[in-house]
Parts: sequence; C-alpha cells; structure tokens
Amino acid sequence: MIHLAVSNVHKRFGGLHALKGVTFEVNGPELIGLIGPNGAGKTTLTNVLDGAIKPNTGTVYLNGQRIDQLHPYEVAIAGLGRTFQVTRSFRRMSVLENLYVPALATRRAADRKAIHAKAMEVLEFLTLGHLRNEYAQALSGGQQKLLELGRLLMLDPGIVILDEPFAGVHPRLMEIIYAYIRRVNEEGKAIILISHQMDSIFSLSQRLLVLNFGGLIADGPPDEVKRDPAVIEAYLGTEEEPEGDAGARDDATDEDNPTHR
Amino acid sequence: MRRRVPHLLGLALLAFFLAFPFVYSANDYPYVMHIMITSFFYAILASSWSMLAGYAGQFSFGHIGFMGVGAYTAALFSHYFWLSPVPTELCTEYRFGETWLVVVNPIGVTSTTLTQDCLRQAMEMWGDAVQPTRMPVWIGILLGTLMGGVFGFLIGVLVLRLRAAYLALFTLGFAEILKATISAEIEITRGQAGMELPALFESGVTLFGHTFDKTDKLPPYFVMFGLLLVCLAILAWLAGSKFGLFVRALREDQDAAAALGVNTTRYKVLVFVVTTMMAASAGAVQAHYVGIVTPNNLFLLQMSLVVAMAVIGGVESFIAAAIGAVLIEVALEMLRNSFVIGGVEIDMTIWRLVFFGIVLMLTLRFARNGLIAPLIGYFTRGHVARETVEHRLHPRAEEAAAK
Repeated sequence: MIHLAVSNVHKRFGGLHALKGVTFEVNGPELIGLIGPNGAGKTTLTNVLDGAIKPNTGTVYLNGQRIDQLHPYEVAIAGLGRTFQVTRSFRRMSVLENLYVPALATRRAADRKAIHAKAMEVLEFLTLGHLRNEYAQALSGGQQKLLELGRLLMLDPGIVILDEPFAGVHPRLMEIIYAYIRRVNEEGKAIILISHQMDSIFSLSQRLLVLNFGGLIADGPPDEVKRDPAVIEAYLGTEEEPEGDAGARDDATDEDNPTHR
Repeated sequence: MRRRVPHLLGLALLAFFLAFPFVYSANDYPYVMHIMITSFFYAILASSWSMLAGYAGQFSFGHIGFMGVGAYTAALFSHYFWLSPVPTELCTEYRFGETWLVVVNPIGVTSTTLTQDCLRQAMEMWGDAVQPTRMPVWIGILLGTLMGGVFGFLIGVLVLRLRAAYLALFTLGFAEILKATISAEIEITRGQAGMELPALFESGVTLFGHTFDKTDKLPPYFVMFGLLLVCLAILAWLAGSKFGLFVRALREDQDAAAALGVNTTRYKVLVFVVTTMMAASAGAVQAHYVGIVTPNNLFLLQMSLVVAMAVIGGVESFIAAAIGAVLIEVALEMLRNSFVIGGVEIDMTIWRLVFFGIVLMLTLRFARNGLIAPLIGYFTRGHVARETVEHRLHPRAEEAAAK
C-alpha cells in the first residue's frame, strides 16, 4: 500500500518563499491532480519530492521511509518516479537503451532477457515498437514524451509524478497517455498529475491539490475544488493581487539554485 | 553480414599489428618500430579519453596529467627504491629476510657531479663486492597505474558538481599544477633535468628463441601493444555493460539519469578512476620505454594532440579514437619528409602541423563524430532505418518469424 506523507515543507530560494508549509498525504493508488497558476511552486514541490532539492524544513516520508534527505537516485529506488516538464530523453541513446537504464539501475527485473521482454512490451503499448533501435533524438516531441513515460514503467515505482504530460502532444498520442495513466493506476500505483490542461486533469483526477504562491490552498474532490472561492480567486484573480511576496517559481533549476544536487 | 564487417576488420588489424615486427625489414626498422610503439601509447590515451569525454561527457583536459602521474610514480619508484644484500648504513633501509630495501635520499640535480646520494656513496665503499639491484620494473608500472587511479578518484570527487567548461578548466588546472610542481620540486623530481628510468627489459629478454637486449624495439612493441589490447578489451567490456549504459545516460542528462535510479556520483567517479588508470599505465610503460621523463611530457600541447586524435577518429567510439591515434601518429611522422616544388623547398617538419590543424578543423566543421566512427556506425547501425520502416509496415512479421 503506497503511502506518501508530505509534512510542513518549506523551501526558500534567497528571498523567494517557493513552498510554504505544504502538507498532504497520498494513500493507496490515488490519481491526484496538482494544479496551480504559473509560479505556484508545482515543479519545486516535485523537485523536493524526488530529492533534487532539499527542503529548508519539513519532512517527506514514502512508505515509512524518510526521503527528503536522500539523493534522487535513492528516492527513485525507494519507489518514487517522475517525468520532467521539458522532456529529457537520452537523445543519443537508442529507444531500447533509454528503457534499459531504469530497469538495470533499480534491478527490479530478474535478468537482461526479462528486462528486454518488458521493454518490448512497454514499447508496443506506447506504439513505439518499430522505433526500438532508433536514437531517441530521431523521435518527435510527442514520441519522446511517450518514451519518458515508458522509462517510468521500467522504473516501476509505487508513486509516479507526471509533470505536464499533455503539453504539446497530438490528440492521438494524448489517447495513449490517457491509457498509460489508467494502466499505471490499475497496477496499484499512485499518480500525481501536473497539468495546465484543466479538461484532462478534471476528468482524470479523483482528487485535486491546488498550489498558489507556494501554499496549498485546496485539497479535495475535483467538483468541490472547482467551486472553492480561493481556487477561483487564484485562477481568475481579484482586483487586488497579493503583495510583498515574490511567489514561487515553476522552473527552478540547478543553475539558479545552489542547493540543487 | 554487414554488421560483422567491423569485427572482421578488427581481426585483420590485430593480425597486421601482430605480424608487422616480423614482416617489416627495411633499414629504418628501429625508427618505424618506435613510431608504432608511440602510436600505441597515444592510442591508449585517446581511447581512454574517449570513454571519459565521449561516452561519459566528462571533458577533462587533465588526462595528460594522469599520464604524468603514472610516469613519475614509476620514475620515482625506480630512482629511490633499491634492493641490497647488505645494509648501506647510510640510507633509510628496511630489512626483509636476507634483503634490504634501501630508500635513497633525494639530492636534486647535482648527484652526478658534486655530491652523491647515500646509495652511490655506499657503492663506492663496496666496490664490486656488493651489487644492489633495482626494484622490478613491473612493480613501478603497477604502482604508477594505482597512483593514477588514486589521483583520478580525488579529481573525480572534486569535479562532481562541475560541468562543461568548468570541468575542462579545473582539470586543465590540475595538469598545469602537476607540471609546475614537478618542475619546482627539483630536490626530489630533478625538475626540468628529468628523471632517468631503467628500460622495460634492462637485462634483455628472450622471446621466440631470440635474445633481445634493452635497446631492441620488439619487446617494448609487444608490451605497449599488449597494454593497448588490454585497455581496449576493458573498455569494450565496460561499454557493453550497464556501466557503459549509465555513463552515456550521465552524458545525456545527469539529472534525468539520477531520477531513474542511476547513482551518478558513483559512475562519474568510477569513469574517472578507470580511464585515469589507463592513462597512468600508458605513461609508466612509455617512461620506461623512452628511458627518461621530464615535465615537458605534460605539456598542454600533448593533451591537445590526444584530444585531436580522439576527435578526428571519433570521440564517441573508443575504437575509432584508438585507430585515429595510430593513423595520425604515423601520418605525422610520414609527413616529416620535406620536398621541393618549383625550386622552393617545403619544410614539412613545420607544415605537417599545419596540415594536421586543417584536418582537425575540417573534421570539427563537417564530421562532428570524427572520420572513423561514422564508418563503424555505417556497418553497426546502417540497418536501423531499414528495420524501422520494416517494423512499421509489418509490425507482426518479426513475431511470426520468431514463431
């Protein structure tokens, strides 16, 4: 049974308070949508969860194991996988090699033969089978997104964070991603889905988390969250915008963040 | 069949280099053999650098420094450590059974003229009665290799957070500091005077029923060629294992590799240790072969030459880098012959470097993956596009064939 407990997580970048006491739990194979305006702190939260950024205060526990001080590779092995907002496939490696990396790193599959068989099954599911030996750089943007999703299937984590999986994807590939999400969820994994595509996220999610200016302003079923005045205010704005806080950023990278490992 | 062509060519090359010393018999035999040995030396440096820079994306410019670590470790070891059947009672010495390990005191560059070190003083007293012996050469080479690995580990740990230009500058700084330290520490390293080393086979060696003395080229030819084969075999094994897969993932995207469970720290340090050990072993063997090592061996120009060899061969293939190194070393020597055009003598000892520079520039501009790697790629990956089309058109054909 998957259990993720995020407790009072704060993250500051200099004067920027990117995450302000974020607290929530994931219990079992939930399909959770994480939304918020640009700069709300969604990607920063993802980076904290996967170990790329250490929080200033607060804790993250995955299945009873504290993971907020672990390296990203340890977090991946502990059972939390993620995709990136901008696709990060291994471009000068073949499609199959892209899939071998997580399987060999975590040693979840028994041997190379089993890894290859699973990789082929994943590629067929993602309609990338015919491209197995091509370098990833030969794939279209949408296909590279599928490849990144395929790597997560090979990693086989208990909880999956998908960061903007629908961005810039052709409707036909979108169908494959929907099927992927359903499959992952049916396999008993929890999913945190980050997207700006409200239609998709409202139709897929069983529960929504809403971040705004680094703080969690709503947590509940999509229908309730949709009517939440704080959420409406965050998305539509009011006449007076909050002042005195620069807000969080979506795109904190290790170039501008010295704590990023 | 096409995929087997590189293997067949590899076997042909292996046969050629194994037979070459026995087949070639021109008057310039020692000179040509020297060129071949030197080209093998550069092939080890270029292929190991290709693993570091081409596979793992760690653009280190300190490789020649690690070569120097191996060379100087072997030199210091053979210079300062001796075995004697009797104690000198002048040097620091340790008894091991019937033998004394003598540690000679450093006296800088004046040893042969004004003063003598403790061992030479003792030998003068002993006359011919006692003959101390040098430590075995292979131990020095082994120590040089290990020391290269130690330095590789330290530098690998220090550059963990550095990428691209910062990594290149850091490693360049290391090589320059090492060279400056060796030049400055005259007391121990003899500075620019350099350190003499015994030959690989100081007392000669018998091979194929023939006795070779220490100046013969055939034994060092096979030692350096053997070392090259060992290094290439290790590189091939690593490239085909998960090590090769992970370091390439590291090159492509370190953060993404970590997010997929790859311990990027471990593999970044490991690739430094493995490749620097290879560079150090080549340096140690070359130092014993040449018989002297000086700080000039660590010049930046030497590093540039290694990088150029790997780039022209193809930096993302260690085999291509090794072949590139051999071809370029041989070509540079062949181009030494000056010639006359219309009464004007072209001095190729200078112009050959211009030619080399032009080849490098053209390669970087028009063949980013080198001149040899694409040829290997044609045979090993040339079928991929056709297969992709086949699989797309007939997705079940392969399964049916398998059944």
